[in-house]
Amino acid sequence: MTASGPLIRLEGICKSFGTVLANRDVSLTIESGKVLALLGENGAGKSTIMSILAGQLQPDSGAIYLDGRQVILSSTEKAIKAGIGMVYQHFKLVSAMTVAENIFLGRGGIWLNWSRMHREVAALAEQYGMKVNPAAKIGDLSMGERQQVEILKLLHRRSSILIFDEPTAVLTPREADNLFDTMRLMTASGKGIVFISHKLEEVMAIADTVAILRRGEIVDTLAAADVHSPAELAERMVGREVLLQVERIPQEPRQIVLKVHELQDAVLSNVNLELRQGEILGLVGVAGNGQKQLVETICGLRRPAENTIRILGMEWRKFFRKADWERTLAYVPEDRQGLATCQGLTLLDNFLLTTRGGFVRGPWLMRHLAEAKALHLIEEFDIRPPDLAAFAWQLSGGNLQKMVLAREFYRKPRLIVAEQPTQGLDIAAAEDVWNLLLKAREASGILLVTGDLSEALALSDRIGVMYNGRIVDLFAVEDEEKVALIPQMMAGLSTTTDRHLATF
Amino acid sequence: MTFEIIIALLAATVQSGTPILYATLGEIFTEKSGVLNLGVEGAMIIGALTAFIVARFTGNPVLGFLAAGLAGSLATAIHGVVCLGFQGNQVVSGLALTILGVGLANYIGTGYVGMSAPGFQPLAIPGLADIPVMGPIFFQHDPLVYVSYLIAPLLWLFFARTRFGLGLRAAGEYPAAAIAAGLNVAAYRWLGIMVGGFFMGLGGAYLSLAYTHLWTTNLTAGRGWIAVALVIFAFWRPGRAVFGAYLFGGIMALQLRLQASGTQLPSSILLMLPYVLTVLVLVLSSWRKGTSEQPGALGVNIEPVD
Repeated sequence: MTASGPLIRLEGICKSFGTVLANRDVSLTIESGKVLALLGENGAGKSTIMSILAGQLQPDSGAIYLDGRQVILSSTEKAIKAGIGMVYQHFKLVSAMTVAENIFLGRGGIWLNWSRMHREVAALAEQYGMKVNPAAKIGDLSMGERQQVEILKLLHRRSSILIFDEPTAVLTPREADNLFDTMRLMTASGKGIVFISHKLEEVMAIADTVAILRRGEIVDTLAAADVHSPAELAERMVGREVLLQVERIPQEPRQIVLKVHELQDAVLSNVNLELRQGEILGLVGVAGNGQKQLVETICGLRRPAENTIRILGMEWRKFFRKADWERTLAYVPEDRQGLATCQGLTLLDNFLLTTRGGFVRGPWLMRHLAEAKALHLIEEFDIRPPDLAAFAWQLSGGNLQKMVLAREFYRKPRLIVAEQPTQGLDIAAAEDVWNLLLKAREASGILLVTGDLSEALALSDRIGVMYNGRIVDLFAVEDEEKVALIPQMMAGLSTTTDRHLATF
Repeated sequence: MTFEIIIALLAATVQSGTPILYATLGEIFTEKSGVLNLGVEGAMIIGALTAFIVARFTGNPVLGFLAAGLAGSLATAIHGVVCLGFQGNQVVSGLALTILGVGLANYIGTGYVGMSAPGFQPLAIPGLADIPVMGPIFFQHDPLVYVSYLIAPLLWLFFARTRFGLGLRAAGEYPAAAIAAGLNVAAYRWLGIMVGGFFMGLGGAYLSLAYTHLWTTNLTAGRGWIAVALVIFAFWRPGRAVFGAYLFGGIMALQLRLQASGTQLPSSILLMLPYVLTVLVLVLSSWRKGTSEQPGALGVNIEPVD
């Protein structure tokens, strides 16, 4: 039962996309019978390293050793043959087919023997403590059951290394517990597991070893037994050193632009906050603790209960009914290539997406006016290439983000919701974005949602910490005692009883 | 008397339904792999002409029949090159194949208009042909009709009971899953296109070697399009395709009988009947969209992995 030893070893893996370094000198060892947790925020490089293992991406440099011999995983097929199986976050299952059909896809002889297939699947499921009906259509199954089918697919192929990409994101707590039981059965039979997550308690519960990734690098590898509290992991994961000094001149907060009062839904519970013009409220927390729901509700993508949100003094419904294109709300979404821009449109058209209200005369769009304005903005915000006819997809992440900010700030918003505004950007571009946000603060209130604590500390006047759908605490950034407790709050630990753990 | 007319009408239904059945099953095979081929009409007419010419010069209708299948595959291979080789738009490529095929066949066939070729003759199956009602309707036809009886069950067997059928369906439903399972999606789609084209060519051959033994301009007369519509009507199931093909065959046969009986209705109205039914069928089958069994990735090209 304690069969162990290195199954696969990664050494010095580097991978970059254009100018963005996704993985820098990553070395990992996956052992038989052990669970290795890869911990890191979104964009820390977890998916890249995983795609390399699955044969979907090729590293720029570095080597992979399987049972001591170097292998080149040049395709998914090769990775499968090498015994590496991946449970994707987005399941690779054909929903029109049955469980057994999905498991036997690409396997077996010419003829399919249904009763034998069903028997084999049922036996395998039972061996690992799963309850799956082999004849059920995937489309009729819950997310947890679909995940079990994904796992069964790999077990049936006798994969020796199973990689789970944020497996609990789609599961109910009970299903997550079942998954952990299954994982324990798998390690007991000698399989090696890589568990990718940013949920600290889960990592603490299941992992033998924890590797922490930040900005593409492994910043720490520790035995789970040596980790005393999730707060320790949180601190290492988000980092606290301020990478760049940005100058933040305190502003006199003016009228309230956003008021959230006892907002409640499936994820959020009793969220209260106030945001005034002239301040930045940094909302931090491990991703998936309700930040997305809160932002989407404030920005009009989800409907809140009545009288829970007031924007610029108006009730939510009334505000969105009469929202003008300027001097109102600007949303800088995390998904800048999907929600913020249209990849196949030019910069000018993307500029007009939210500002067209300012360039209409009757039914006509005054494109030449928009062109003059947009050109001016491109120069002011230093967007490259400085060409209005360039398509959004031709721009780098940083330039695209600057273009989104230019467009949104042109609307002279009084409330700005910025979600992960520097995620995936290089330092220079991030610094530009930070300075732009600080400048915009003079005229508006900014809700900054970020997973990067140093960013939040550098920019915010006040900090809110989210955990499990709640805002655990809201405090001024000058309150050093509270700031020191942020990792505990992010990990959901009580900040009154565990104060002695605040060693940083 | 009326009873005999009905039997004769039903027998004619089977005959005029057979070419549509071949083409529909071919298109089902192609679409199951995720490729939408609107070039059925083109592949059919190229098959029809090839069958006619080969049979006329070799004197052997069996050779003509097989050659028609190969010609159908060859024609649809153009679609494969465009859609699988170059990720071209499947709708446009299919339409182009229809226009190309019809034009090419009519052009090459100009010299053969009105000429005849040795075709297949009715061959009653001993025993079965004597069953009352069923015998005359189903078992007193030419051999190509009997071959068509076998294709639907064979396709069902292939889709449901073989590893390759499973792979083909996965390639059409969700290529990402097929790729994750280590399957070669492009190869399965090529298989879908080529085998589908083979059946479409056979459907054309039925028109020039069995239904008539003549070559005329526009021999297929829109049957390829009916096949495309029937695939939707059949919910991509070979069994339902048989039912649909005979439904259309029935309307076509009825329309001919009505014309021959000297009805007052203008013939152009009667000629419209099958196409009116096509529109009706499409409306009715899209009504229950929720339960449609359209392959999930139908018409979506697979992007090459970089």
